[in-house]
Amino acid sequence: MMHRMLLVVLLTTILGIISGCTSFETTDNTPTPAAVVVMPTTPDPSVPQTIVSPPAALPSVVTLPPAPALVPPASTPNNPATPTATLLVAVDAAIAAGELERAAALCERALRISPRDAYLWYRLASIHMQQQRYADAEGVARRALSFAGSDAQLSQSINNLLQQAQAALTR
Amino acid sequence: MPNRNPHATHPPKTKSRWWPILGPLLLWSTILGSVWCVWIDFKIRADFKALQWALPARIYARPVELYAGAHLGDEDLTNILQRLGYRQTTSVAGPGEYQVTQSRVRLRTRGFEFWDGQETSVYTEVDFSGRHISALRGEQNVDDLALVRLEPVEIAQVNPTTGEDRLPVTLDDVPAALVQAVISVEDQRFYSHYGLDPIGILRALWSNVRAGGVVQGGSTLTQQLVKNLYLTQDRTLLRKLEEAVMAVALEIHFSKDEILTGYLNEVFLGQDGNRAIHGFALAAEHYFGRPLKELKLDELAVLAALPRGASYYNPLRYPERAIERRNVVLARMLAQEYISDQQYEQAHKAKLEVSARPLKRERGSGYPAFMEMVYADLARDYDSKALRTEGLRIFTTLDVGMQSAMEAVLNKSVAAVARIPDADKHLEAAVVITDASTGEVRALAGSRQAGYTGFNRALHASRPIGSLVKPAVYLTALESPNFHLATILADKPVTLTLEDGQLWKPDNYDNQTFGDVYLHDALERSLNLATVDLGMKVGLVEVANMLTRLGLKRSVLPYPSMLLGAVNMAPIEVAQMYQTLASNGFRSPLRSVEAVTTALGEPLARYGIETEQVVEPDAVFLLEYAMQGVFTRGTARTAANRLAYNMPLAGKTGTTNDSRDSWFAGYGDDLVGIVWLGHDDNSETGLTGATGALRVWTDIMTLADIQPRQTLPPQNIVFDSVPLIPVRDTADRNCNATQSLPFRAKTMPDVEYSCEVTDSFFERIIDRFRNDVP
Repeated sequence: MMHRMLLVVLLTTILGIISGCTSFETTDNTPTPAAVVVMPTTPDPSVPQTIVSPPAALPSVVTLPPAPALVPPASTPNNPATPTATLLVAVDAAIAAGELERAAALCERALRISPRDAYLWYRLASIHMQQQRYADAEGVARRALSFAGSDAQLSQSINNLLQQAQAALTR
Repeated sequence: MPNRNPHATHPPKTKSRWWPILGPLLLWSTILGSVWCVWIDFKIRADFKALQWALPARIYARPVELYAGAHLGDEDLTNILQRLGYRQTTSVAGPGEYQVTQSRVRLRTRGFEFWDGQETSVYTEVDFSGRHISALRGEQNVDDLALVRLEPVEIAQVNPTTGEDRLPVTLDDVPAALVQAVISVEDQRFYSHYGLDPIGILRALWSNVRAGGVVQGGSTLTQQLVKNLYLTQDRTLLRKLEEAVMAVALEIHFSKDEILTGYLNEVFLGQDGNRAIHGFALAAEHYFGRPLKELKLDELAVLAALPRGASYYNPLRYPERAIERRNVVLARMLAQEYISDQQYEQAHKAKLEVSARPLKRERGSGYPAFMEMVYADLARDYDSKALRTEGLRIFTTLDVGMQSAMEAVLNKSVAAVARIPDADKHLEAAVVITDASTGEVRALAGSRQAGYTGFNRALHASRPIGSLVKPAVYLTALESPNFHLATILADKPVTLTLEDGQLWKPDNYDNQTFGDVYLHDALERSLNLATVDLGMKVGLVEVANMLTRLGLKRSVLPYPSMLLGAVNMAPIEVAQMYQTLASNGFRSPLRSVEAVTTALGEPLARYGIETEQVVEPDAVFLLEYAMQGVFTRGTARTAANRLAYNMPLAGKTGTTNDSRDSWFAGYGDDLVGIVWLGHDDNSETGLTGATGALRVWTDIMTLADIQPRQTLPPQNIVFDSVPLIPVRDTADRNCNATQSLPFRAKTMPDVEYSCEVTDSFFERIIDRFRNDVP
């Protein structure tokens, strides 16, 4: 009787291990431990939740300026070998993919290379408009305006954007 | 015993006689043993599945961008490549290699996961002209390579409290040769055993007996992993048993690849100060300064030798032992047919080329002053636990080249200007260098000594700023319609009654007075009495407000002494104020952190450019005219010769009472630089801003090759000529000697005072009208 009990205990042990084994294999294919990394719990303050909302959710006043319509010579895509033009292509792609914060990052990268390029500042301002960060858009647009010089067409676009930003801010 | 048992001759009875003692013992030990096995099994299943190493946050400098026109010399580039552990070769074959021929550098980048996307590995040829990149080319069949971003230099990390550091990799990222090398020396039958290797144990036992001591361990990789992860280093029998059960349990539930990956990342491979080097990926960086993927067979064999004795076979310290053991590894690989004779021949003759032992400063705490600012910025969004465990990647704004240039000259430069010998009193320094446009901090020194970890003067030494305050006074005036650059100020003795009833009698620095002076002249020559005259006219509250608008966070009491710099600021606060001036009246908060991503490169946070217009560009333009005059005509003209290739620049000297503080704040098109010199005990230095801080500033900025200002006049600006010598009475003006000054079209000198001879009165009116049209 005693060795029967012993046998039962041993069997349960083995079964337990085997069942654990199968349950792991069937239910969980967790990758190698090296790939497991915890996401920080801290929310990202610089990325407002609003950026995920579709353009339809934007206030009606904000008719987004069709940014690429206006291209000053400094960053002409016709000459794609300039660093800023290359980055602007990436900015357009990021906007098309809905990745506005990445677009802003790329725009700022271009601004580090060409800090006086009014068009780049304008593009950054219009990205902030899409992100509904109107105060940021206003500051950036004013800087764009300060570099626009005699480019009347660009100045006009910037002034339009400024008006929209101010309208959104006062509402 | 037999006499106690009358039925001793009956064999079956013998059994029942032993049973009552042995039976329960066996039963209970089996039950307990089984429960223990199940418990261990359960634990190992849960623990290993959820295995997460505490990973240090890695902190990176700003990545270097290569493009035609970039301000970067060939030496600047090769310095960075060396910091990144690139290997100089005669022909670039793979990532992380570079070749230098005359003024051309060829290289292949490694690629990196940045917060704004993946930078792929590319081949590029870079041509230089002076300290600029003149051309950038890709491979012959690939055109249009406009921009290449190098990997960022790692400048610091926040280590977990365990002191363990590692760079976890997946098996795909581990060269097959390394796996083969490890298996052939540590556990030949790894792929065929079930966690324990009886043959291996016997073999180890045999060699130990033969050698008369422990020369070989019989532990499998699985056992080693289990021991490292879950057990103490005790060598008791119970521990051995526990290890064996755990190893078998691990083998039952996890694949060989998972166990191998765990081992390759976990194993201890060296000690670096208080940092323990774990895993082969980090060991590759530590010993060879290059990623694992770039190592050759002989180098991988050196690493594979380390689990056996990380300090004994340390290739940095004992190269002979490391080579000897490497060759043992290679021989085993050859014997097990992992490598060919030819590979063996080549590898075992290879010279051991370890990375130049990294300077202590360049690791963990290379830039303590800058890192203090980074930690303060990070503390807003991340607690220290997140930084110590989650393997975050933190991208900072530090420009390694700039910081190195500054550190290279700072100490010597300060020693050269000191009036009081260093032995008697140590003249200290603080430097802040920021990007003129974006407010990103490029370099920071909290002491004249590079790597100094004590009091961070750049962030915390709050001192009176002296004449550095004056631009705020003049800007307040130039913003109003009542003042322009040719406004005549009275530089004459003045006595003011303060709030507390005391009398205040300021002096000029040299105790002279200059009578009637132009406003721009008073700023260029830093005349105290004229500044007090102006400041009292524009209003103390307005000046205090201007300081706030320019970015000063602390409140300023609007007392008259404020006009001459009785305002305390730390160098970093001064940098914020001058950044606003350098970017033409747009304030952008100074930043040291640009982005944070997870260990896998997913963006978590980005701290982008913020900017707000706080002063009209017209007024800032007029102010800058005078601040450029500081270099050409004013208190900084002594530096003009040395900066001939960098002019025009704008700046301001500052000296405080009894020359306790020597300041200079200056900016070009790309950079803003603030230098402070003084004694920690606030005693006299014998230095003015011009004889002290300006000279140090010039040493740093000529090395950093600060770029000339390219400030274009805003549309509302017109130029007009006025007499060289200011006179109050228009009738007395002498137009034989004139100077041309910028004015806002709406705020011009009196027509009667102007020396503009070519224009008739009406033409001037028309000019103004033209300029008013937007």
